[in-house]
Amino acid sequence: MTYICLMLVEKANQIYEEAKAAIKSAPDSKTLYNVKVNFLGKQGQLSALMREMVQLPKEERPEFGKLVNEKKQNLENHYESREQELKKLELQQLIENEKLDLTLPGPDRDLGKIHPIAKVIDDISSILNFLGYSVQTGPLIEKDWFNFEALNIPQDHPARDEQDTFYIDETHVLRTHTSPVQIHTMLKQSPPFRAIAPGPVFRCDSDVSHSPNFHQIEALLIDKNVSMADLKGTIAFFVREFFGPEIKTRFRPSFFPFTEPSAEVDCSCPICKGKGCRMCKNSGWIEIGGSGLVNPKVLEQANIDPKEWQGFAFGFGIERMAIIKYGVPDIRLFSDNDIRFLSQF
Amino acid sequence: MKVSLQWLNQYIDVSDFFNQPQVLADKITQAGLEVEDLEDPAKNLANVIVGQVKELASHPNADKLTLCQVDIGEGTLRQIVCGAKNHRQGDKVAVAIPGAVLPGDFAIKKSQIRGVDSLGMMCSEVELGLSNESAGIMILPKEAQVGTSFAEYMGLNDIIFELKVTPNRADCLSHLGLARELSALLDRPLKFPETTLKTTDKTSSSLVKLELKNSEWCPRYAGRAIFGVKVGPSPVWLKQSLEKIGLNSINNIVDVTNYVMMELGQPLHAFDATFISESKIIIDNSIKGEKFTTLDGTEIELSGDELTIRDGEKAVALAGIVGGKNSGVNEETKDIFLESAYFTAATVRKTSRRLGIQTDSCYRFSRGTDPDGVVEAMNRACHLIQQVAGGQVAKDFWDEYPLPIKKEPILVEHSYLEERLGYAVDFFDFAKWMSRLSCKVEEDSVASQCWVSAPMYRWDLWSDIDLVEEYGRLHGYDKIPEKLPSLSYEPLSEDKEYTHQKQWNQKLCEEGFLQAVNYNFVSKDFEIQLLGNEADEKTTGLVTIAEAVKISNPISEDYNVMRRRVFTGLFKNLVYNYRHGSEYGRLFETGHVFYSSGEEYKQNMHLGLCAWGQKNQLWQKEKSRPVVYDVKTAIENLLESLHIPSWQWREFPQGKVPTYLHPYQTTVLFLEGRMVGYMGSLHPSLLDDNKIRTGAAMAELDMQKIMRGQPRVPQAKAISKFPAVTRDFSFVMSSEAKVSDRIQKMKKISGSLLQKVEVFDEFTGGQLKEGERSVSFRLTFQDMDGTLNEQRLAQLQKEMLS
Repeated sequence: MTYICLMLVEKANQIYEEAKAAIKSAPDSKTLYNVKVNFLGKQGQLSALMREMVQLPKEERPEFGKLVNEKKQNLENHYESREQELKKLELQQLIENEKLDLTLPGPDRDLGKIHPIAKVIDDISSILNFLGYSVQTGPLIEKDWFNFEALNIPQDHPARDEQDTFYIDETHVLRTHTSPVQIHTMLKQSPPFRAIAPGPVFRCDSDVSHSPNFHQIEALLIDKNVSMADLKGTIAFFVREFFGPEIKTRFRPSFFPFTEPSAEVDCSCPICKGKGCRMCKNSGWIEIGGSGLVNPKVLEQANIDPKEWQGFAFGFGIERMAIIKYGVPDIRLFSDNDIRFLSQF
Repeated sequence: MKVSLQWLNQYIDVSDFFNQPQVLADKITQAGLEVEDLEDPAKNLANVIVGQVKELASHPNADKLTLCQVDIGEGTLRQIVCGAKNHRQGDKVAVAIPGAVLPGDFAIKKSQIRGVDSLGMMCSEVELGLSNESAGIMILPKEAQVGTSFAEYMGLNDIIFELKVTPNRADCLSHLGLARELSALLDRPLKFPETTLKTTDKTSSSLVKLELKNSEWCPRYAGRAIFGVKVGPSPVWLKQSLEKIGLNSINNIVDVTNYVMMELGQPLHAFDATFISESKIIIDNSIKGEKFTTLDGTEIELSGDELTIRDGEKAVALAGIVGGKNSGVNEETKDIFLESAYFTAATVRKTSRRLGIQTDSCYRFSRGTDPDGVVEAMNRACHLIQQVAGGQVAKDFWDEYPLPIKKEPILVEHSYLEERLGYAVDFFDFAKWMSRLSCKVEEDSVASQCWVSAPMYRWDLWSDIDLVEEYGRLHGYDKIPEKLPSLSYEPLSEDKEYTHQKQWNQKLCEEGFLQAVNYNFVSKDFEIQLLGNEADEKTTGLVTIAEAVKISNPISEDYNVMRRRVFTGLFKNLVYNYRHGSEYGRLFETGHVFYSSGEEYKQNMHLGLCAWGQKNQLWQKEKSRPVVYDVKTAIENLLESLHIPSWQWREFPQGKVPTYLHPYQTTVLFLEGRMVGYMGSLHPSLLDDNKIRTGAAMAELDMQKIMRGQPRVPQAKAISKFPAVTRDFSFVMSSEAKVSDRIQKMKKISGSLLQKVEVFDEFTGGQLKEGERSVSFRLTFQDMDGTLNEQRLAQLQKEMLS
């Protein structure tokens, strides 16, 4: 080996050691890259060394070239593994810097809510929907005939005393119940059919437990061979769907001019499950509504032959259902529309 | 109606329920007569004893107190300190001894008052819960037996039921009526009260002659003369019986008529014969314009359409409602004519409603009394009058009943009974129950049907369905099984108004609005004050009438007309919420508004929105925009979700802006060329008047108009595969020019290439002149058929800027 060759080999070793140390100690990928450029780049030290190879005798050149290339390859391997190492470290660093306190609130987007009255109406309607009942509506300013006469409550009937009626004029009232929708539906549709009528009703009565503008929902079925058992079964199904599978239904005899037989509907108290609480006045039962077979006189008024067709009807007070289901403590909350109340549903 | 258990026990043995009245109450309730309340009048009277003040002295240490030695039958005297002044030595008093707990949880204990022992308390009527006011302690009559329990002395060892009798069961508005019902229910015998009489030779017609002129309104009229009665206070039993069920004792004659009414359900009236001129009793209509003064002194003018009881010259009673002041029984009365009649329910009800007079008598007549029980009730009263006021009863009586009322027997088919109840019925069991109800049952030979004749007093039993109910309730509603009727036909489609309302409610919730539900009626004054001269349909798109629909008998002036705008209620909600500390709120309501059109009343479904305040958000970078834009976004998102293809916001036609809106922050909504509603910020002075210190906005839309043509089904379009290009433009515009016009122009220029327009900046001031603003838009272009080339874009850009 020529002296000059020895010198160059010595230099290659020196560059190699230097580069290796620099790679190893590069603190970040930017420094590492600079190391690469400095030693391995086109203008780098190893390339410069290769260019010095012309000084060597021809026969020594291949040997030397091979040596330098080996060193270069070696350094590139070092570089790559260091690069991987640094990337990992830096990502770790980055992730650590992106630490968030996720207990901070997110952007405050308003959440709208359905009013509990509408919610109860929707809940009841959808339960009855899958029994084939569909919603029908009627006017709130109602003709006396629809609100009373057609429902077997003639002018001088004592049952009119039970409903404190708002009058608009001689022949118009604010409907006192949703029952006139029964008549509208019977006149419009030919039997058999099933209908539900939800909506506001009005009574000239206002105290802690009565609102002059409250809501009812009422269901009507007209069909052949309708019995009290059909009525009870339908209500019992509804009660289980609405309040829960363990809630029982009970009928108590009562009187409504538009049904015969008539029954008040009680359900076992959903609050205490029948054990007795304040809501059910310790009786274990809660009154939820009225029901009965459609009085043949009402069918006649609506031009339906009672010999061929019968029907049943039942109805609930929406506020009462909401009070039982959501435990609303005061009926006035329904009409105050305090957003602190409305946001709870 | 109040029912005394002791009283009831005279006609049916219910003594086994004295210790468990709730059991009886439940049975009655389950049979259809709701017992609303159970009252034990003696509940707070344990350890209250009749005593006598034996010695009375001043309290040694207090001038205002007395020191009494009281005998309560213990053998020794009790020392009691008393603060009242009205008692004297020898007076009988009610003494509460230690252990007593008087009404209001007032426990009596042995105590020391100003250094002197006091072993009880002498009670006032207030302290005993018998009255709302009293002066001093209660002094009992001399006959009161020292040492007896006060409750027993007062006849208060009883249970009082508060019975809710449904309008169809007038037959249960008496003790005997309820006993009759219980007799059927419990299968126990019924005891009828005593009616035996000692009669004289005199006839009733020697006292008065009777003439029934209107037998349509008064089908039956009976009366009997009683001579030489002695009017005075009632005996204790009678007085106590009436007081327990809430009636005042007047005198022995009136008390008997009331007692028999509460006993048998037949209202009665006693006339003092001396005031009956010409000795004639005529049942006929009133004379138009005649004056009549009722027993309690109210003067009324009659219309000629009331049924009256008259003598030779005047009306002496309003039939079935109230007697006249001119002929009632008083202390001097000797000879009386006792009336027992059947007036039709409609007659009595009509008159009582017109004159606004409510009495126990007309309550019963207007629900239907028993024409067959008229004579029996009359004789029962004669019997009792003789017992408590002496006198001689005429040997005969008047009984005019020209056309006796008959009830037809009802045919009941076995199959009908089973079909309506929905379970198998033993027909013999049915017949048994009908008999217990005093119905006559005639069975058909085949026994698949029977004829049932209901007693006259059961006005609710007319047809077979009524008997289905009777059997159902007596046999027990708990026996009705639960079945689900099968559905073998197509259901009706749902009412559109309801489905639309539901859909809107849901959409507005998604926009962050809370649903409000307000009353449909509002205060006329409040609404007028708020809405002012509301612009009409031509300028708002909403029907507006000058006068709201009035309620003729409003519950208060706060709710006397039907609302014309949903906003009226929402504004009240805004004020309420703001005053209760909610400085930020978003409310909506979908509800009806009302108007009249000729003779008709109409209703429209409106959507109202009300928003106020700004939320302080942690993440908010820019200053917030006026709240009216929140309302606008909610409405546009709603329209978008309904797939309404296009709408415009325009100025109020003719500049007629409602007075409650900010004149420069309002707009009306146009949908396919039709005005459908409006929106705006609330006028600063309206906010100021209501002390609302934040911006607020409202909108009101006509749902019917907007929902015309719904549902609109979206038709899906292909999505471009080629890259989209965005370009930003800034325009200097006059502040009068509308951004919507500029957008419209840009859309027109670019046609289908323009996918999206966003406004990202609005700027005033700086280099800009007064009345100028700079608005920046970001436009997104995309072509379905290829990549947009620079040339095309440059062309568009040039056109935009020209």
